[in-house]
This record gives sequence, C-alpha cells and structure tokens, in this order.
Amino acid sequence: MTGLGAERWAAIALFAAAAVTPLVVRDTYILDSVILILLWGALSAAWNIAGGYAGQVSLGHAAFFGIGAYAAALMSARYGRSPWLGLAAGVLLSLGAGAMIGYLSNRLRGPYFALSTIAFAEVLKIVASRWRGFTAGSEGVPVPFRPGFWTLGLSHVAWLYLVLVVALLAYGLQVYLERSRVGYQLAGVREDEDAAEALGIATRRRKVQAVVVSAALTSACGSMWAQYVGFVDPSHVFSIDLSVRFALNAIIGGMGTALGPFVGSVFITSLETYLRSISSWFSGVGTGFTGIYLIIYGVVLILIVRFAPEGMIGIAARLFARRARAHA
Amino acid sequence: MLTLESVTKRFGGLTAVRAVSLEVRAGDLLGIIGPNGAGKTTLFNVISGYYRPEEGRVRFEGHDVTGLPAHAISRLGLTRTFQIVKPFGNLSVADNVMIGALTRLPRVRDARIEAERVTALCGLGPHAQARARALPIALRKRLEVARALATRPRLLLLDEVMAGLNPAELTGIVDLVRRVHAEGVTLIVIEHIMAAMMRLAQRIVMLHHGEKIAEGTPQAIAHDRRVIDAYLGEEFNLAEA
Repeated sequence: MTGLGAERWAAIALFAAAAVTPLVVRDTYILDSVILILLWGALSAAWNIAGGYAGQVSLGHAAFFGIGAYAAALMSARYGRSPWLGLAAGVLLSLGAGAMIGYLSNRLRGPYFALSTIAFAEVLKIVASRWRGFTAGSEGVPVPFRPGFWTLGLSHVAWLYLVLVVALLAYGLQVYLERSRVGYQLAGVREDEDAAEALGIATRRRKVQAVVVSAALTSACGSMWAQYVGFVDPSHVFSIDLSVRFALNAIIGGMGTALGPFVGSVFITSLETYLRSISSWFSGVGTGFTGIYLIIYGVVLILIVRFAPEGMIGIAARLFARRARAHA
Repeated sequence: MLTLESVTKRFGGLTAVRAVSLEVRAGDLLGIIGPNGAGKTTLFNVISGYYRPEEGRVRFEGHDVTGLPAHAISRLGLTRTFQIVKPFGNLSVADNVMIGALTRLPRVRDARIEAERVTALCGLGPHAQARARALPIALRKRLEVARALATRPRLLLLDEVMAGLNPAELTGIVDLVRRVHAEGVTLIVIEHIMAAMMRLAQRIVMLHHGEKIAEGTPQAIAHDRRVIDAYLGEEFNLAEA
C-alpha cells in the first residue's frame, strides 16, 4: 500500500493540469493532445476494470468501442437524431455484448478467453464492412458537424472538459473498486477463482458484472470519439490495434491501479503524436517512419514486461518505498 | 449436520468415490485417512460443491446441497481449505482474510476488524501486512485456515493442513485446529500424519479405492485389520504416538 497516497496526489495533479490547459494555451494541437490523452486514458481505465481488477484480459474491447462509435455516428448521420441517443443505444447494445463476453469468460480462461474476444471484434468488423445498407460498409460514416451540446458539435475547449468529466468518472470507478466489497471480491476472483468460490463469492456473476461495466464505459467513450473525430470506419474502430492499445496503456502504466491507465496514456499518446509529427517531417525523404511508433510500442512493452511487470505505477511505488526506508 | 447418502463420483471409467455414506453431527471432529488416490480430496470436492456427484445426495443442515455451486454452499456455512494452498498471492495477508470476512460482513470496515481478530487467532498477526505469496509454507497453511474461518463456517473441511510441516510447526497447527474446534466449528480433517490424527480426531473414516472400508474411534481404527493391510502396514501404537 506504500505510495498509494502519492498515487492519489499524482492523479489530482494530472487532472488539474488537464483542467487548466485551456486557460493557458489556445493552441488546438495541444488541446487535441490533451483530449486524446484523457479519452484514451478513460478507455484504458474501462479496459482495466475487466483486465486489471477482475483479471479478465480482453484483446477485443474494440468491439465495444466500435459499437459505441457506430451507434452515435449512425444516430446523427443516418437518423438526424442526437448522438447522445446514439451513445445511450450503444451502451445498451454493449451491455448485452458485454454479458455475452462475460459469459465466455466463465467458459474459457486466460489466452483462450483473449483469443475469443479478438474473434468477437473481428466478427463485428466484418458485419460492419458488409452490411452496406445500414453501416455504409467499408467506406465508413462521416459524422455531420452541427454545433451545440445536444448534437455534440463542440469546440476543443468544451470537448476537453467533457472528456475530463468522463476520465474522472472512469478514475473514480476504479478507486471505488480498490476500496469496496465488490472490488475486493473481484481481486479474489482475479487471484484464484477456486479459493474465491470457497469464500462464498459468486465468481461467475462477479466476472460478468466487471466485463459488462467495462464494456458500457468503453462504448460510451467510443461514441464520444466518433463525434470528436467526425468519421467512423469499420477497419479502424473494430481493429485489434485499438484493442491492444487499451490493454497496452494499462499494462505500461500499471494494471489494476487507478492511475496506471492514465499514466500509460500520457506516455503512449504523446510518444505517438511526437513520432507521427517526426514522420511527417521526413515525408519528403520517404515513408520509412510511418510505422515506427509500432516498433517503439513493441520495444517499450517488452521492456516493461521484462523489468517492471507492475508498470510505471509499480516502479514509482518501489522508489517511494525505498526513499521512505532511507528516511526512516 | 452433514449427511452423505451413497455418494458416487466418476471420472470417465474411473470411480473416484463409490457409494460413500457418512453422518457428521454438530461438534464432531472427524478424520479421513486413506492412501494416495483413495478419493479423500474428491470427497471434499463433492461435499463443498466443486464436483457434482453422479449418484447420491449431500445434505447440510436440512438443505439438499447436491450440485449447488461452491459459493452458495460456503454461504450456508460449509467451507473448505485446499491441499495445494491457494492464497490470493498478490494481496496482503490482511486482505486475504478480509475477503473471507466480507462474505458475512458486507461493510469493509467491519470485515477489516473481523479479519484482524481471525488473523491474530491463527497466529498470523505479525505477518498481516506481508504479501501472501511471500509467506513460507507453514504460514500459508495457516492463511488457508484463517481465510476459511473468516467466513464463519459451522462446518469446515481441512485438507492436509499439516502436510510438509516440521515438528514445531506441526504442534502449532494442531493447537490451531483444536482452538478452531473449541470455538464451536465442526471439522472434517484429511491428514496423512497418523500421530496427529490419532490425537485430534474423535472418529476416523478410512477410504480405500474410493470406498469407505472402516469407521470408528482412533483406537478401533488403529487395530482394524483392513486399515492395517491397506494403509498403516502395522498396528499403530497409540502409546508411542
């Protein structure tokens, strides 16, 4: 538990820094970076609820992200209704899909569960690509920009605060899981299901609950992302790249910690933005740099898993513990 | 309190437990012995809800618990420990025990207090903040007992909590088992260490090839021809034990 107080302060500092950014800078490039850091952080936090706290490591969370993205985009583009309604519809669909995936987690464990979640997202990708009459197929859906809160046509500053609220909600949900009965029981399920059963914990129901909440939050974030970016296409929103990204942020930052997904998101999102900007400088020379962030992803992941399996939060906690001992 | 009516558990062609009937009364301390593969742990798995028996019924305090999931049986007041210990390795000893206590006490604060009491009772007080996976085996066995005890069971199944311990540790855990029994928990104990079993149990059941071949007081069991042939090898001298 050492360093937990410090983690809370670090979280406050991080979210406060995000909140004051629009007061200090007006540069849309920077605002855009902060919005994406918060949104990817919230998405990783959503993943973390199932993967980190309940131990159900999914590599198919893009399924829920895509459901949310399409629900919002189609609701505004096809039916001319508020994307908030789409968000709600997406959440409802994802509750159902989450229950299905949660049920799978009771049948398949570890890597078999992860593989089945990948398959689930792939199936949805194919459906969205082929069902042209409804989803417009692989061409994708451009989301019309209609200014206003109800239509989610917002300025960068408004987006930042909206996404900040979502991030705080995701963070708060995780903190709740660290302190509540449900959270402790999920930790028991993650550590050893048989032992948890012997202690009277309905492990199957708890796992389904965790995956369902995780799915609903992922879907809501997916809806917001669609409105923010303004374009949805199946090969991106249902891609394994996205699923891996949700997991990766949490793993690099620290699985099963509340701040971990956000720390991971700060690191990965800034790195990616930076490398993309470099690769555009070099675009005259060639496109050799376009894929380089994937290589760096891989290297960072290997280093983290090898040297700091508890992620950056784990490293920080260890440093704090060492310093506390040195002072004692 | 617990009644087994001709319980049979098969795995494919292998009958691990064959037509075992058993009666356990409140306050009993029943021992189960038998060679490796006799079906002792399988019987525990059937009673505690990890396996569903092919035939027979398991009744606990008037409830037919045959085929109920393990967590439901645990909530009724019947739980168990595991021969191969299953600590929540990344959590502290205190949190391990508290997760057990949360079953009866939904509020984290109450469960924390109850866990402190049980942790101290089981002699784990000084290790409360240690990570479970960092504990030596003797303390992990104690943690198994502590965690199960925190659910406030009326019937507790102890699966080889003494295996692999040195004589000093053994004395400690025998004392702990006695203390748990004295608190009013009915116990069924699987154990290979005959000396400890003879001193602890009021009654012993012998399993062999999945069948109950003998049942009686420790004295009677120690002189039973079938038990000697199948398991002990020679008469067990109580005076030496």
